[in-house]
Amino acid sequence: MKLSALILALGLSFGGLAFAGDGPYQIRVDGLSCPFCSYGIEKKLKALPGVDQVEVDMESGVVTVRMVLGATVSDKQLRKAVADAGFTPREISQGQRQP
Amino acid sequence: MSWFSMSRVIRMMWVVMLFGGLSGLSVPRAWSGPITFSSALPLGDGIGVLRGQAKFIRKTGDPTAADRELNVIAVPTVMAWGASARLALFGVLPYVDKRLDVTLPGGRVRRESSGLGDARVFARYTLHRVDRPGDTFRVAPIVGLKLPTGSHSERDSMGTLPRPLQPGSGSWDPFFGITATRQTLAWEADVTATYRINTGADSFAFGDEAKLEGSFQYRLFPRTLRSGVPGFLYGVAETNLVWSSKERAAGVDNPNSGGTILYLAPGVQYVTRRTVLEAAIQLPAMQNLNGTTLETDWVGTVGFRWNF
Repeated sequence: MKLSALILALGLSFGGLAFAGDGPYQIRVDGLSCPFCSYGIEKKLKALPGVDQVEVDMESGVVTVRMVLGATVSDKQLRKAVADAGFTPREISQGQRQP
Repeated sequence: MSWFSMSRVIRMMWVVMLFGGLSGLSVPRAWSGPITFSSALPLGDGIGVLRGQAKFIRKTGDPTAADRELNVIAVPTVMAWGASARLALFGVLPYVDKRLDVTLPGGRVRRESSGLGDARVFARYTLHRVDRPGDTFRVAPIVGLKLPTGSHSERDSMGTLPRPLQPGSGSWDPFFGITATRQTLAWEADVTATYRINTGADSFAFGDEAKLEGSFQYRLFPRTLRSGVPGFLYGVAETNLVWSSKERAAGVDNPNSGGTILYLAPGVQYVTRRTVLEAAIQLPAMQNLNGTTLETDWVGTVGFRWNF
């Protein structure tokens, strides 16, 4: 019983680790204060290889970047794209892919 | 209104703009951009904006028997391009239609011209930038050149048209300035100062021109932000203080030219992530013009912007 519980726990843990990093990237962007200007961020991020969708939330200043399955993008690439659009990138986090 | 009272109003307006616009006042959320002049808003590397406007200008108030009336329609097309995150390049190509109605000894006559006006090219470099969550402050100098792309030798049945009635000036005129923008999710304030040196061509030069302009925009709708990037409707209040020196023809100043005008311009603007639709009317609050220079009745502006 204890062994099976341990195996289940390990499985869940490794499963979680395996999924971590597959979900959308979330970038907090400073200076994002106008809808018309937000298009620049969308355009620059969508130009990165593997990017599927970009969603901007004006109120929170968070830009969500969804990748095509299996694709990844580096922190450096994301920061450069935001900076090239004329804004200041802050924290970047990565969530889990939704089932 | 006396000049003293007017000068107090002007001072108060600038105080409100500078302190309201450039300090960290806490007000409801909104955004937009100036309608009657340029701002320091970001234009990213490889991002373009196409801007079209139609301006309707009416000038009357001739104290002489000629009773001149000038109506101008100008349609400038602006192409802006982000060469880098800090450097933006602009090109402006206007189409103009000018009509002057004047009473001569033989009766009322109309003199008119239309065609391509003088183009302008200029660069803006973001020198100073402070970004915070939902908030940015930018300062950018501007330098540019007005090109003699418009004809300055148009004729009608009465002979060569007067130079102010020509579509173009014929001269290469440099200009420079500085613009500052404070933009939050709630509001935006802009202040721009520019100076143009009008050099002249064929023994004629328009007077130099200086402008000090301010704008304040406030979101009217939606009152509270939804998720994503909703379309915003803004109320806009702008002011333009325009000074021009006298024209010079064959080395002699024209005493009936130049002066100072202060416009107040209410406007409205609808902004989405790809487009802007806008309209404003500039009404002269004060005109201190030389000699028989025509007074401006109003300047109406409608326009759009498109992001690509």
